Amino acid sequence: MASIAAAKVQEVREITRIERIGAHSHIRGLGLDDSLEPRNVSQGMVGQLTARRAAGVVLEMIKEGKIAGRAILLAGQPGTGKTAIAMGMAQALGQDTPFTSMAGSEIYSLEMGKTEALTQAIRKSIGVRIKEETEIIEGEVVEVQVDRPATGVGTKVGKLTLKTTEMETIYDLGGKMIECIMKEKVQAGDVITIDKATGKISKLGRSFTRARDYDATGPQTRFVQCPEGELQKRKEVVHTVSLHEVDVINSRTHGFLALFSGDTGEIKAEVREQINAKVAEWREEGKAEIVPGVLFIDEVHMLDIECFSFLNRALENEMAPVVIMATNRGITRIRGTNYMSPHGIPIDLLDRMNIVATKPYEEKELKEILKIRCEEEDCEMSDDALTVLTRIAGETSLRYAIQLITTSGLVSRKRKSNEIQMEDIKRVYSLFLDENRSMQFLKEYQDEFMFNDIADAGDAMDVADG
Amino acid sequence: MITVKSQPPVAGENLPITSSNWIAYLSSAQKSCLVENGVRKVHYNLPDGKEMVEEYNLQTNVLQRRMWKVSDTVRGEKWNVEVGDQLPQFDNIDSVGIQENSTAPMLSKRITKTNIEWRIRNLPYARDVYSVTADDDGITVRTSNKKYFKKITVPELNRVGLQTDGSLLSFTHQFNTLIITYKKPPKVLEMEAKVLEMVKTISPTKIPDIKNAPDQCKPS
Repeated sequence: MASIAAAKVQEVREITRIERIGAHSHIRGLGLDDSLEPRNVSQGMVGQLTARRAAGVVLEMIKEGKIAGRAILLAGQPGTGKTAIAMGMAQALGQDTPFTSMAGSEIYSLEMGKTEALTQAIRKSIGVRIKEETEIIEGEVVEVQVDRPATGVGTKVGKLTLKTTEMETIYDLGGKMIECIMKEKVQAGDVITIDKATGKISKLGRSFTRARDYDATGPQTRFVQCPEGELQKRKEVVHTVSLHEVDVINSRTHGFLALFSGDTGEIKAEVREQINAKVAEWREEGKAEIVPGVLFIDEVHMLDIECFSFLNRALENEMAPVVIMATNRGITRIRGTNYMSPHGIPIDLLDRMNIVATKPYEEKELKEILKIRCEEEDCEMSDDALTVLTRIAGETSLRYAIQLITTSGLVSRKRKSNEIQMEDIKRVYSLFLDENRSMQFLKEYQDEFMFNDIADAGDAMDVADG
Repeated sequence: MITVKSQPPVAGENLPITSSNWIAYLSSAQKSCLVENGVRKVHYNLPDGKEMVEEYNLQTNVLQRRMWKVSDTVRGEKWNVEVGDQLPQFDNIDSVGIQENSTAPMLSKRITKTNIEWRIRNLPYARDVYSVTADDDGITVRTSNKKYFKKITVPELNRVGLQTDGSLLSFTHQFNTLIITYKKPPKVLEMEAKVLEMVKTISPTKIPDIKNAPDQCKPS
């Protein structure tokens, strides 16, 4: 059973493999079965059974899409898997439901106000599923030609030659489209589709006629037939755009391409009102469907009292998404006031939330997580080294133990071993200090550091959870 | 998720194809008419919410242009040209993103007294490269060098419930232009005459003649 699951995980990884490994890249879902019962180890998730079960119930609610404006708070100590659960939910929701992830401190931007940032985040989390007939261009790339001006500055000029089995046409490209093509690494021999309305490029694969171009191709390379007939086709497509995207398209003269550059700035309230009315109209006509998504605010205690009261109001809107927040704070000061409150969140907002608690991991679970991370980071570890590492995780923190995986992996590779042994762990344990030992060290040698006399004020320091 | 609709992007594609009740469909519309520069312009507000504009030459009574208003769910509205030259595009390439090169073949349709004609400009290949055939849902243009391919629908025939007939079809090539001619069958001629008759009954809206206005008001 376990081996089948492992094999499945391996298979998924082949497709979604990206070059870099993030802190939560091992998470592929919530690890629940059909009756929403959590499996102990599944889809990269370990333990936290009640929290995962609760997340599963929330997920059902989101999928039904009827309930708007619910708030969920994930509360727990640092390193107990709050972000992991949110990521798991995002994965389980799939591509079609908008999931916006932001950190609480992201709203403090110089370019836009706090409430504007929050409004944009909320509108990014509401999808509009639009059914429309669009013109798409589908063909095999014959040539991509991009000319940069000799001076290096100024607009680039681009040409794209596409063909089908029957015809061949040259297209002119605008600056943003050139960037898209560069980003997608489109090259001769690729079969691509371009949605004329949104400018979205998607690669379907490589043409069969080009199968012998290279001796070696990656496992992901998919070979497809060169398309037939006309290059431009009309297709009825259903695409999900977020309300924010519709806002941007309608607020700027240069249209949808602002989405790619990201320079959206503040959007006027009138534009939003118009869009809301328009969307409501489409909904009545049956042209569009609202897909309420999820807004995940990590480190929610970093929001201040203004944001909380804004959220309070925003959650009452019928177009509001489900808001999931995560915090690792206990009873603390609400930012922007001198009042203390549980989780640093005002009581009136807390009252509207469903609170899901995450508990510290047990030793067995720590071992499972470390094992998954070893696999994710491509490190092999001997059993006793893993036991030692688990002990370290229990005594210091899970994050510290995870940091030691790759570092000890590098140490073991230096001594030409493929497997991490206990000695490697010991070596990196002595090389890198954990939080406690670092504090110990500071206390011992306090006098020799600079500005040691103001150390008493240090208790107000913020330690953020990643 | 994606379903293919086999309608090619010919000018005026999403038409209400309802064969013989085309005249009934048009006459049920709210019509207004304007005579200007030797052209009779007729605007139809159709009962199903569509909008259509026709332009008739006053001398020849031939339809010069027919356009349909298409509203795009996200990006406002535009006009789709069914008959006549395409509307000029002044959009900057940076705002459009992608468009055909100016050397790419361009199709336009025009109607004469006896024929329906399509011109495909920017086709520099020799005449024997092309093959133009009639099939069930229209006319197909092919090139033996695989440079150009197009399926053309003929809404006029659909409206009277006819299929394309290969014997009425002919084509010539000169000045880098492929000209495809389809001789109008009697049924089409008959329908056009009826529509014209209906159009002529609409009394044109008076517009003030600014050029020859009595000079009561003299702007300084």
